[in-house]
Amino acid sequence: MAQWEPKIVAFLCNWCSYGAADLAGVSRMEYPPNIRVIRIPCTGRMSPKFALAALREGADGVWVSG
Amino acid sequence: MGVEPGRVHFSWISSAESTKFVEVVKQVTEAVRQLGPNENFVKKELKVA
Amino acid sequence: MGAYTDKIREIAGRLLKDCQVEMVIGFRKGSMPMMNEPCFVTRADAVDQLVWDGSCGINLANYLTGRTEARIGVVAKGCDSRNIVTHIIENKIKREQLTIIGVPCTGMIDKRRLKNLAPGEVLAVEEDGERVVVRGDGFETVHQRREVLQANCAVCHHRNPVIHDELVGDPVSEQTEVDRYADVRAIEGLSAKEKWDYFEALLAPCLRCYACRNACPLCYCPTCFVDEAMPQWVGKSQNPVDVRTFHFLRAYHCAGRCTDCGSCERACPVGINMRLFTKKLEKDAYEMWGWEAGLSLEQRPPLDTYRPEDPEPFIK
Repeated sequence: MAQWEPKIVAFLCNWCSYGAADLAGVSRMEYPPNIRVIRIPCTGRMSPKFALAALREGADGVWVSG
Repeated sequence: MGVEPGRVHFSWISSAESTKFVEVVKQVTEAVRQLGPNENFVKKELKVA
Repeated sequence: MGAYTDKIREIAGRLLKDCQVEMVIGFRKGSMPMMNEPCFVTRADAVDQLVWDGSCGINLANYLTGRTEARIGVVAKGCDSRNIVTHIIENKIKREQLTIIGVPCTGMIDKRRLKNLAPGEVLAVEEDGERVVVRGDGFETVHQRREVLQANCAVCHHRNPVIHDELVGDPVSEQTEVDRYADVRAIEGLSAKEKWDYFEALLAPCLRCYACRNACPLCYCPTCFVDEAMPQWVGKSQNPVDVRTFHFLRAYHCAGRCTDCGSCERACPVGINMRLFTKKLEKDAYEMWGWEAGLSLEQRPPLDTYRPEDPEPFIK
């Protein structure tokens, strides 16, 4: 296996961090390509089930951002 | 419970804070990279080499 | 103990005769020693089956979920009463529906430990104040009550019911000197790897029978997450990852609600101490928000309120 890269599942709030991610993209900022974004309607939609499901499916990290 | 503290992160970023977003992505990636692959919560027989 | 039984019968008989309640939920002798079972008494002439002793460890709040009877009498020790408060806060029952027969509790007997100490099959257990007499085929042993208490009762500090309409005896003195969280602190001191291995060993015998979930008064979801199929969160197998996911998530569902009544551990057929999970969260709730579940009807639980001073160092 080549250099191991972590896979991180990011749960981003539609109105906050998802917007920030969008802005970062529009502004052509560079950031590590290790995150896989899942958009949630609000951080209140987050459930411990999601974090566990991500880890069970093989994610190396979970990031929740409002 | 045996899940390393650095595996799960929480943050609070406004939609205008793209610089903070980039910062936090870097921090989170680095923290998880330090910990190495997640072995614990993955079923052993399902794991592909 | 006998005095409690008489008093419970007297109160239950009076409530039923005066039609103040439609039924009384209490305990009767089980078919095996130390296995008292819940019973629902609806007639005043049937109250003589009600008993009280050190084997009434089942949490009766579990039988109140969503009940529609207008008036229910329920026998409650300290932890039951705290779970009844939690039920009222979570709209699972109304205070007006309940007549709570409070029992100041001196702790429940650990049936597993008593069985292990006995040289043969236990046929009868009698309690006499601080003495617990165990009889079996050809032996009779005497134990001190405090030495054979359930682990959660030994560190309990809410023995008296927090709400009640009747009380069957004078309040007992609370244990203020106990160190509630010694076992949790010992685990907190371990590294992540050691913790993982510790819980791997702890949960290894689990059969996924869900007795802990069924005995728990907090586990009243119409469909438990383990039974959900779309999406399926947890496999149905005894794979250690599935077992771990079940216990892990069940514990989190009890965060800020668990009263450490010990029903889960008592119900477990293989003797897993899953209280270690819920107790850690109970400790966190106490340390972060000064919260102990089920003490007040007025205060909202910390996990459904926001306060500016809530700790948030984990948020970047």
